[in-house]
Order: sequence, then structure tokens, then C-alpha cells
Amino acid sequence: MNSTRFTERNKEEIDRKWWEIGDYFRRNSLWMLMYCTGCCAIELPPAMTSVYDMERLGMGPMATPRQADVLLVTGYLSLKTLRRLIYTYEQMSEPKYVVGFGSCTINGGIYHDSHAVINRLDQYIPVDVYVAGCMPNTESVMNGFVDLMDLMKSKKADGWKRYHTNYEWYRENQIAALGEVKVHDEFHE
Amino acid sequence: MIISLLIGLGVALGGFTFQTALGGVNRKIVARLQKRVGPRWYQEFIDIFKLLSKRSVSHGWIFDFGVIMALGGIIGTAMFMPVTSNILAFPSFDNFFIFVYLLAVGMLGMAMSASGSGNPLASIGVMRALTTMVAYEIPFMIVVLTIIKLAGTSSVSGIAEFQQMAGNNWFMIALPLGFVVAVLSLMGMLGKKPFETYIAPAEIASGPMVEYGGKQLGMLFIMHEITVFIEVSLFVHLFLGGAENIWMFAIKYFLVYAGLNLVSNVNGRFKIDQVVVFFYKWPLAMAVVQAIIAIYLGWVI
Amino acid sequence: MTNSMSNVGRINTLMGKNFSLIDAKIIDQYQVSYVLKKDDIHRALSVLKSNGFRQLSYLSCVDWPNDHEIEMVYIVMNWDEALHIQLHARIDRDNPVMDSILPIYPGAKYYEREAHEFFGVAFPGNPDYDKQLILEGWDDIPPMRKDFDPRAYSDKKFTKRDPKENFEVTDKTSKRPRQERREERANNLRTGGKK
Repeated sequence: MNSTRFTERNKEEIDRKWWEIGDYFRRNSLWMLMYCTGCCAIELPPAMTSVYDMERLGMGPMATPRQADVLLVTGYLSLKTLRRLIYTYEQMSEPKYVVGFGSCTINGGIYHDSHAVINRLDQYIPVDVYVAGCMPNTESVMNGFVDLMDLMKSKKADGWKRYHTNYEWYRENQIAALGEVKVHDEFHE
Repeated sequence: MIISLLIGLGVALGGFTFQTALGGVNRKIVARLQKRVGPRWYQEFIDIFKLLSKRSVSHGWIFDFGVIMALGGIIGTAMFMPVTSNILAFPSFDNFFIFVYLLAVGMLGMAMSASGSGNPLASIGVMRALTTMVAYEIPFMIVVLTIIKLAGTSSVSGIAEFQQMAGNNWFMIALPLGFVVAVLSLMGMLGKKPFETYIAPAEIASGPMVEYGGKQLGMLFIMHEITVFIEVSLFVHLFLGGAENIWMFAIKYFLVYAGLNLVSNVNGRFKIDQVVVFFYKWPLAMAVVQAIIAIYLGWVI
Repeated sequence: MTNSMSNVGRINTLMGKNFSLIDAKIIDQYQVSYVLKKDDIHRALSVLKSNGFRQLSYLSCVDWPNDHEIEMVYIVMNWDEALHIQLHARIDRDNPVMDSILPIYPGAKYYEREAHEFFGVAFPGNPDYDKQLILEGWDDIPPMRKDFDPRAYSDKKFTKRDPKENFEVTDKTSKRPRQERREERANNLRTGGKK
């Protein structure tokens, strides 16, 4: 009895160690999926090219959601885009992180009273880091990425776990905004 | 037998480590070209281990099995690769055609797995990869057959030793036209920039790799690194006279790979029909001319 | 290309001869605007199309809630003469029905679907006009009507973030190490990792 408890605790300890090693690799090689929904996407080219050079942090652009680790939501999200964003987010392989750019993802920004644009991104998918500003300048974008790495180091970037545990709540919010998450029309059948 | 197997596995593992480190160094070189700082030299290792540490989705057993088949096939191919004149796992089994056929196992596994994912972009990518292969294989094969005729053997280490003998130049100098053709074909093999059509991240979302994530993508990256190792070391043995010791090999390998990378980074991307037309125009003509000059006229430097 | 002012004159006589114009306005040498009766629209578009106006540039509506009317706007263009023509016609707002112009301009298909979605105008003759196009799963009155209140809809449907009233930093000392770290990091980013 005693010994089984000991081995279980031992196993947890080993798991934790492995996870920490994995975290080192994950935070030094963040591959981004740029979901360029709005104007904040224009801040990414200077962040990638020779002025700020995000490749020295191990970051790089990736082509598909399956390969990527970080989802960059750059700007306002209309309802139509939000639906695709949810598809995209659910396709990414775990662990996955979300960075929201600009005031539009925080509180709606200048589109706060539009009938087609959502106000708070974190009601629909979990967000790990917000970069404030309209638009954020490139230094704060880079700062946001380093913040994300710090959060991963201190194990606070657990948005994907929150999405699992609070899935019902997120799904309720998504349905309240979208009606139905899966769309049925001639373009999708 | 067991020692041979161990040497073979060592070649595969060492090739993987060497090529991955070199890949990171090359990323750094390219970054410096573009006035950037660039990643750490071990960035590629971090990428691969990160991918292996992620959770991944399966799209059916063909999808998973194809990846393992590709990786196994490529490791199997790398085991036959001679590194120097002495480091050779299976002597007398390093025929050039063994590499050609065993490489196809890896490619086939990848094609199978990519088609198993059911994504149309993956099918397009696989089709483009096979088309590119058809395009560069023919000029390359003509040049290699010329080499085999001149050397009198099709063993890769035999060809390397033939070049090291007194009185014979490296085939890089002996067959200058063929060397140009081989460089172009090698760029096609490695999927470097002008012939990057089957990856094309902005166009078909990285082609065959479109549905891979996590562990499968990590295995594909390992497979890709070993494939690059095999192709570049084949080139070193066929054209640069092989290597007497491992340092010579490393230097030659580095020069070839870094040179190709530099050329690749100032190029745009061809369309798939341009790739085929390109390979069937000048490289094919040059390869045929080289073969006629070398074999029938006997003009070998 | 002939003189553009004479093009306008030619179109003016063509339209005045064939249709009873409620209003005609020459905006500039490239744009003319006509207000027609609802029933004349199809005939006018056919005549214009046979006179070189091959392209339907735009089809939309304007809502006039006080007049209980919706104004249809058709913009056609002539590539040879660089001339745009706007055709306006008013239809009933409570029961907005306008026959489709699909037989004349096949490209109107998606414009009509959009107009139906945003203004609620029905287009009999267009087989797909009531399918959804841009708004997916819309659950209110058409959003471009003037009596639709986007802010009320947004308040009802989307969760808002409550802004904090007091933005002052209460404990200034607790922020300092973080601020310093941030500055250091910004400096690090600026110099590319070099000291």
C-alpha cells in the first residue's frame, strides 16, 4: 500500500520533470500561425525581418495550424472570422497558445458597437497573452512574445488546459455568439 | 554482422546529428546575409525535440504507418552510406543503385502517409514532388551513368577510390558540365529554392506536410535531415572524390551544403511546369553532351 | 474614344426618348444618375446593356424609413466610353419585392443575395436569393435597415469588458521591479541581445 503510493508519487515527479524539459524546448521554438484578421498583422513583418528578428528567439512562421504552436489573432474578429478561428484553434496540436493583438481582441476597440464584431476574445477561446495598443508597436509585440515565454517558464500559460476543463463554458459562449459553431451552407457542403 | 549493424546505425545517427547541427549553422549564415542575428546553432535540435514532445492527431493507421515507414526506410538507406574509405558498414553493398532504390522506400512512405491524411493540398504536394523527381532524375542519372562507365564500378566507395588514385582528377574537374548538372539536380533533390515547388508554404501550405503536427512532423523532420545527409554525401563521394578521413568529409560536406544554401537564398520559386521544362532543357542537353564527350570521344581531364 | 460630354448627351437623349424619367442628374462628365419607376428598371437595363453598358458595377439599396420606401440602386458601366450610369427606383419598404435582373446581368446573383441579407429585399427570379451569404445564422432584422440598432444588438449578444474606473497605481513600489525588468528587456530587444 505504502509502496504503491510511493511509486505513484515518483511517477508524478518524473512526469513533472519531463514536462519541464519539454517546456524548455517548447518555449525556445515557438512556431506561429498568423491569423491575420485585422490591421495589427502589419506589425509582424518588421518583427520577423532584420530590425527585430524574431528568429533569434526561435520563432518562425508556419504554414498550417497542425504544425503551429502559437495562434496570433491579429486584430478584430467578425462573427464569420470567429467561426474559422475556432476551427483553426481546435485543429492545432497541443500544447497550444494564443496571443491576442490590439485593443479589438481585448474589448472590441473601435468596433465595440458593431453588430458583426465580437468584443472579448477570451470569452470564446482561452487567451494567454494580450498585446495592448491600437496598433501595438513592434517592440510591444516582441515584448508580448517574451512575456509568453516567461509564462511558459512559470507554467502559467495553460490556456489549452483551461479550454479542456471549461469546454462547456466556452462552447456555450461560442453558441451564444454564433448560433451554431458548424456552418451549413452551399460553400461547406 | 552485429558490428556492421552498429556501424550502420552509428552512420545514420551521426549523419542526423551532423546534418541537423549544420542546418542550424546554415540558418545562422542566412540570417547574417540578411543582416539578422539568427537563431542559435542548435535551434534545429530544439525544433525537433519540441515537435516530439507535442501531442498529435492521427488520421488513420496509414497516416501513422507511412511516417514510420519513411523514417525506417531512410535510416535503412543511411546505414549503407560510406562516410570515408574506412567507415563503411556493409562493404560491397554500397552500390549506387541501392541508394536510388532504398531512397524510394522513404519517399513512398511519405507519399502514402500524406495521401492518407486526405488533405487535397497534401495530394498536390506529393504529385509535385514526384513530378520534380521525374524532372531531375533523368539528367542526374545520365551523369552518374557516365561516371560509372568511366570508373568501371557502380560502388560508391569504389568511385571515390577511383578518384583518389594517382592520375585521376575528381569528377568535379574531370566532368565540368556534368558537375553543373549534378549541382542543379542536387538542388532539386534537396528541395532548395528554385525547385521548392512541392513545399511552397505560401501556395499549397507546405505540401505533403500539411496535415502533420507534433510527433509525426518531428519524425518527418528527422527523416528529412537524414535524406539531406544521404544526398549530399552521395554527391561528395561521386564528385568530390570522397574523403580519406572524417574531417575531410565534414569540410567537403559543409562546403557543398552551405554553397547550395547560399545559391538557394537568392532565388525565387519556379512553378512546377517551369521546373520540368528547366530540367529537360539545359541540364539534360548538358548531361548528354558530357556523356558523349567523355565516353565516345574520351576527353576527360 | 469620343468626347465624354457628348457621350453623356447621347445617353441623355436615349433615356429621355424611351422612358419617363422622374429625375435625371448629370453628376460629372463620367457619371449620370436617373430616377425611374420600378417597372422601367428591367427595360432600361436591357436598353443600356445593348448600348455598350456591359458591366454591372454595383447593386445595392438605400433605406428611407420615413418614406416607407427602399431605394434600389443599379450602377452600370461602359468600358468604351468611361461612363457610369446610376439607376434609382423606389420600392415599398414593408413588402420589398424587386424582380431579379439575373437574365440581363448574370453577375447580379451575389449582389442580390447580399441585398437580401442586409436589407431584406426579395428577388423573385433569382433561385438562391434567400440563401445565406455573408451573415451566417443571422437572427434579427436585416442589419442595414435604419431602425436596426447595432449597439443594442452588440450589447445583447456579445459579452462586454467592464472598464475599471480607477486607473491609478495604488502601490507604486510593487510595480517597480517589474518595470525595471521590462525596461531591461526592451533594451535587450533593441540591441539584439548585445550589452
